[in-house]
Amino acid sequence: MDIRRCNRVLPALLVWIVIGAAMFLCDGRLDLANMALLLVTASALAALWLPAWTSMATSAAAVLAFNWFFVPPRFTLDVDLQQNSLLLGVIMLVNWIIAGLVIRQRSLTETARAAADREYRMRQWGDALRDAGDPVAHAEALRAKLQEATGCEVAVAVFTAWDRNDESNTIFEVGLQDDEQRAGMSLCVREGKAMGPGCGRYDDLPANYLPLRGRGITLGAALIVNLGDRAQGIELIPHLQALCDQMGSALQRYLMTEHERMAREQAQLQATRNALLAAISHDYRTPLATIMGAASALKEKDKRMDTGQRQRLSGAILEESERLLRLTENTLQLARLDTPAVTLASDWESADEIVGAALKRVRQRADGERVRASVAPNIPLLWCDPILISQMLDNLLDNGLKYSEIDLPVELNVRQEIAEVIFAVVDSGPGVAPAFRQKVFEIFQRGELHNGDLWNDSLRGSGVGLAVCQAIAHVHGGRLHLIPRSEGGSVFEFRLPLRDNADFSVPSAVSKGPEQL
Amino acid sequence: MSYRVLLVEDDRVLRNSLCEALSVEGYIMRAAASLADAQAQLRNARPDDPVELVLLDLGLPDGDGRILLAELRRDLGPPVIVISARETEGQKILMLDEGAEDYLVKPFGIGELTARMRVALRRRGQATERALLSYCHGALRVDLKTRRVVVAGTDVHLTPTEYELLSRLVRQAGQVVTHRRLLVDVWGPEHIGQTHYLRLYMGQLRSKLEIDSADPQHLLTEPGVGYRLAEPDSNS
Repeated sequence: MDIRRCNRVLPALLVWIVIGAAMFLCDGRLDLANMALLLVTASALAALWLPAWTSMATSAAAVLAFNWFFVPPRFTLDVDLQQNSLLLGVIMLVNWIIAGLVIRQRSLTETARAAADREYRMRQWGDALRDAGDPVAHAEALRAKLQEATGCEVAVAVFTAWDRNDESNTIFEVGLQDDEQRAGMSLCVREGKAMGPGCGRYDDLPANYLPLRGRGITLGAALIVNLGDRAQGIELIPHLQALCDQMGSALQRYLMTEHERMAREQAQLQATRNALLAAISHDYRTPLATIMGAASALKEKDKRMDTGQRQRLSGAILEESERLLRLTENTLQLARLDTPAVTLASDWESADEIVGAALKRVRQRADGERVRASVAPNIPLLWCDPILISQMLDNLLDNGLKYSEIDLPVELNVRQEIAEVIFAVVDSGPGVAPAFRQKVFEIFQRGELHNGDLWNDSLRGSGVGLAVCQAIAHVHGGRLHLIPRSEGGSVFEFRLPLRDNADFSVPSAVSKGPEQL
Repeated sequence: MSYRVLLVEDDRVLRNSLCEALSVEGYIMRAAASLADAQAQLRNARPDDPVELVLLDLGLPDGDGRILLAELRRDLGPPVIVISARETEGQKILMLDEGAEDYLVKPFGIGELTARMRVALRRRGQATERALLSYCHGALRVDLKTRRVVVAGTDVHLTPTEYELLSRLVRQAGQVVTHRRLLVDVWGPEHIGQTHYLRLYMGQLRSKLEIDSADPQHLLTEPGVGYRLAEPDSNS
């Protein structure tokens, strides 16, 4: 502030010194009226910088000094000629008028500049808020803006989530010092009105509290410490309030969009869940019906059945239980892979072993012998979750076996293509109609067979099977495609990107002896 | 001879049906529905009528089956096969490393269960009588005394590391040996986590011992857990 005052007084002082000196130099060469003009000029120039009352007082002092030094009789305040008295009087009057006009002009300019500043700040702030994805992150920015506008300590508190029915909304705050301030903020938010010096409410508070208002709601508050006298300054508080309200509206827009988005997601989730439940209950009921039917027949009609009939019934129970198991595993896995932060138990795995494990499992089925496997030599180790990949192959093989003729083979081939390893399951079934080629990967979609027959009940698919395969491919950063074969049937191709295995030098066992036996 | 088996399972239906099915197989079944029940039965068994194998469910009403597993391992009690609905591989590895003979995830077929029980009981016999010194399965014969490995009548030459790995699996033939165990026993404890050693050496072993290494008959993979050498032929 001192510097600002210096900046104002110094030029005025300089003007007076220069013109005063000029007057002394010109003394005797110019007549009194011309000297008086110099005096008026100096007074007008000085008024450009000096505050109003100082300017008036300086002018008056200058007129007296002029009288003292230049008006005869010199070095007295007496004036001998009447016309000189008139001259002094006119000079004094003109000085004051000019000073008044200049100062008025100056204050108008200042007001205009301040208004422009405020408008610029508002516009900038509005832009910043409009572009902000999450205005909560802008609480800090609002604080900086208010600090810049007032030069005072500022604290800001905003709601980060808002629910009309929930009292305990989460709040984000910056710069708050103590519980008294917190209480003030909370009161300000509750009432939605500004308080503190110059606000007309609680004028004796040590700080100003400004609400962040949206439409019909207050979503936070700002606290300005020691605004004090400056609060009286022209339009400052309304300006600060406008900044705060901009923030309030932005918050409200954001929170409402968030609220809507979440509601939408919730509804979508619910819809998926309902579809899943409906489909699961259908898919569970069918095998359960077989199991119950067979088991109750075994229990009640045991005596009237021969060994062959009993064998067939218990075989059906076993087969359907296995189907239920697969369905359960797939559904659980799908739910697990659907969570955002799914973690894989990945390790370096060999393609041979993965295929071997899949074969071992499929060979336990009655029709498992139809599966033929081949793994190209020298495939590098794969970075993957072996359980998931096994599950995928198991599902693809199950699919292939189920949808192809009982005497046709299903192939499982593994090969490398540059930076990818490709697991392909090839069947010779009827293939999938073009319209369903993408849909087969969706949950509980069952396609139409290529020849136009709907999948009949003997060809029931596990509706989650391919959806799980797709999810497994995705979490591995790979892709799963369905490629129709020209000679009929389908190829399901899983492409797994290879990962660099920097250092795989393998030491021999800690034991004894050279590496030859 | 009939073995005495204690089944610890809190689900009544599963307990009863397993007891029934295993009795048909010739086992003498006892059942416990809780941890305390099982502990009491094990403590009070007469010395001439001991429990020779425990089938243990993990989620019991009065505590985790792991407690019983730890007690039995500490007291050198009968072997334990864990039967559980907890299906994560981490859980399997943990149980195996804590001394369970085997781990079966519910649901399972009775054939699979009796196969695992046979292996566990045979090993129990060997522990008290003699170590398994030879292994025979299909065309593969391994003789640990003479360090000979024969496939279909022809001697196979293995490197020392390959032989170490194979003989480690032979010592626990029919059982899963975890990656961790194999790495510690064959390469040393500083190599835990280097599962790629195993992949490469198992690959080499398979190419020497199996007809089709993508469809192995002897060296079986338990994805995410470890390896299992196929159960030896019963006349070996």
